[in-house]
Amino acid sequence: MKLIAGVDIGNSTTEVCIGGVEENGAFRFLSSASRMTTGTKGTLPNVLGIKAALLEAMDKIRQPLSALDLVRLNEAAPVIGDTAMETITETIITESSMIGHNPSTPAGAGEAVGELISLDNIWKGKPGVPYIVAVSNRFSYEEAAARLNQHMPDLDVRGLILQSDEAVLVENRLSRKIPIVDEVRHISKVPEGKQAAIEVALPGTSIRMLSNPYGIATLLKLNADETKAVTPIAKSLVGKRSAVVIRTPHGNIRENVLPAGEITFRGDRDLTVNIDAGADGIMDTLKSAGEIRDIDGQPDTNVGNMLTRIKTSMADVAKAHDSEIRITDILAVDTLAPVEISGALAGETCMEKAVGIAAMVRTQHLPMQKIAEKLEQELKVKAVVAGVEAVMASLGALTTPGTRLPLAILDMGGGSTDAAVLEADGQVCTTHQAGAGELVSMLIQTELGLHSRVTAEQIKKYPMGKVESLFHMRLENGSMEFFQESIDPRYYGHVVLLAPGEMLKVEEDIPMERILEVRRDAKRKVFVRNALRALETVAPDHDLRKIPNVVLVGGSAEDFEIPEMLMEALSEYRIVCGRGNIRGTEGPRNAVATGLLMSYLA
Amino acid sequence: MEINEQLIRAITNAVVEQLKINNAQPGTAVPSTMQGQSGTDSLAGKTRMRPKRSYDGAVKAVQGTDPKEVVIGVGAAFQTEINATICGIPLDEVLRNVQAGIEEEGMVSCVVKVLDTSDVAFMALQAAKLSGSGIGIGIQSKGTTVIHQKDLYPLTNLELFPQAPLMDLETYRKIGRNAARYVKGEKVTPIECTNDPMVRAKFQVKAALMHIIETEQLDPEKGMIIWEGAK
Repeated sequence: MKLIAGVDIGNSTTEVCIGGVEENGAFRFLSSASRMTTGTKGTLPNVLGIKAALLEAMDKIRQPLSALDLVRLNEAAPVIGDTAMETITETIITESSMIGHNPSTPAGAGEAVGELISLDNIWKGKPGVPYIVAVSNRFSYEEAAARLNQHMPDLDVRGLILQSDEAVLVENRLSRKIPIVDEVRHISKVPEGKQAAIEVALPGTSIRMLSNPYGIATLLKLNADETKAVTPIAKSLVGKRSAVVIRTPHGNIRENVLPAGEITFRGDRDLTVNIDAGADGIMDTLKSAGEIRDIDGQPDTNVGNMLTRIKTSMADVAKAHDSEIRITDILAVDTLAPVEISGALAGETCMEKAVGIAAMVRTQHLPMQKIAEKLEQELKVKAVVAGVEAVMASLGALTTPGTRLPLAILDMGGGSTDAAVLEADGQVCTTHQAGAGELVSMLIQTELGLHSRVTAEQIKKYPMGKVESLFHMRLENGSMEFFQESIDPRYYGHVVLLAPGEMLKVEEDIPMERILEVRRDAKRKVFVRNALRALETVAPDHDLRKIPNVVLVGGSAEDFEIPEMLMEALSEYRIVCGRGNIRGTEGPRNAVATGLLMSYLA
Repeated sequence: MEINEQLIRAITNAVVEQLKINNAQPGTAVPSTMQGQSGTDSLAGKTRMRPKRSYDGAVKAVQGTDPKEVVIGVGAAFQTEINATICGIPLDEVLRNVQAGIEEEGMVSCVVKVLDTSDVAFMALQAAKLSGSGIGIGIQSKGTTVIHQKDLYPLTNLELFPQAPLMDLETYRKIGRNAARYVKGEKVTPIECTNDPMVRAKFQVKAALMHIIETEQLDPEKGMIIWEGAK
């Protein structure tokens, strides 16, 4: 019996499949394996990963590597994806005009107006004037409360701003209940002698007066023009638990639009679009530019540098000259990134507009032949480069039970979303689109403000639960799960990701509902949009309805919710769409490797 | 430096000789201020380090019912035989800060003195079992602290602060805050602590002595009593 291996090198995983051909020509699949791709796709370091995967697959059938007769590598599409993110707005507070944040425990409730005075100068206060007192952390809660109680009978103290986290402690010791905002880090910047309005919301609600321009106008007695000027303040205070607005002559908050630069598409028509236009504007321009030859950014702008960086790194990989590297597709996605407001007194953040971009780079040729030669040297087994990736994937996908020609595949990997249609007469039409799993991870990371990309990857991959007590957990669909033995106390109160065999905790303090929303939104923005775009390109006459069935393959097809999302989106075109099941056993993986073996027989 | 048997013998001889000289001149060997703390000589013939304190008339602590309650279980010598932690922080301040941390989070605290045991894990677990919320804090007189939950095994606690000499009042405030957050079922961020591998060697003797003083004061028949500070 002859043993043949098919090897598929992907952006993130290397997959192999082993089959045997009997003397009489009968063919059987024997085993398969999958490993992380070592190095960038299409470079010599890949050999290490290939060898490891082959070894694993051969071990399963108890054969040494030398028993192999032939290794078939795919002609990897010379496209590599990369992602980047740019914020396009920034918010600046001038003259300390507001404080708006979510301290965990403010005290009191309601709103108040008064003149700002610090606790050190409270003895200068005049009777009859309403005051709001700012207390630095030099005073302990007992001292602060004692001093205030001493002055309360003569002075009209309406509200408190504390530097330390002691609002409840001070409130419990005051003779009169007033709203108290605490955890204001830069309290020394609070200007004395100015009029200020303070508001604290009841637990579970957010402020109402100060997040409404007319509310601010009512409290601070503003005229129509001034009210117009405070609108951005009100807008940025929406959803906060406590806030202070200070009336300063020129104080305001401003939203700046950053010069993010322009993108030039060189295609059937040369078109230019500014990043400020947002994702929809960019994608529309891309579409009207027709077939793209190359995409450039305006030199010395954020986007220009970003695209240049992608090209340069690709040039290193392919050992090609810069000019031979072309970006043939981009996917732009609107997103929001939490950024600390400059000039803020309590470390407030604001969700700034940003655009995430995935780019698809095409090189002349990837050095696959060199990989084959190296592999042949090291294994002493004949290795050949055979077959185009998309064709092989279609062949492999056809082994999914219940499919027939013409068949469309959607290969959703880490770096790119590829589509191919295999016609009954053997004709294949393919496309490579920028944007896939990695862009989703990046969107999750920025929108949730996560520190590490690894956490974002995990949020993307696994469902969640919140550990509500040491013995039970609420899952993301609302159901409860109970445990016999106590959950490790380190997970208490955390949102955890349910990876197989273990729980991973999310360190950031973000509610589960918010993570869920961001995760689904990111997947929809990238995969649904890209799937429709890709299928439209390859469909006969660009008409989606002419595709009878779509098989989803690749790493992202293994995701627990992406296939369902696509099924929903494609159902309106009456397309049979679902996760592939290669050879009826492999799930959506191993399509290309399987296709490589099948093409050997053909 | 090479250490061999001869060297050790030489050192031993030198020490023995020095001891002989010291014995010849009693009273000059140890400065008088040291006698109270380390003074083995002052203990000669004694079987206890401190006289036994009577807790007659103390009110036995009862099972709490308030779901907002955190019970703080303090050691047997707390605020009586011992008034400062191993690194000299007054115990009044320690207790005040733990309670302030709990209060700031809107929960209520209740202090009991644990006379059954001087093991901090068991103290905390007992306090937790008494607590209406099931969360308790155990504080030894030397400052070692544990946050516990009533359904856990004694040695699998919620949070343990084993290096008492490195703790400050800010840490105690945060311990109170965290305990209250466990009550509320919120996400609790573990408290950052400093770690010093030499602390153990440096404080081992003092820790042992303080522990002995605490253990001496145990009165298992009394169990846990309401504690409102020494009167």
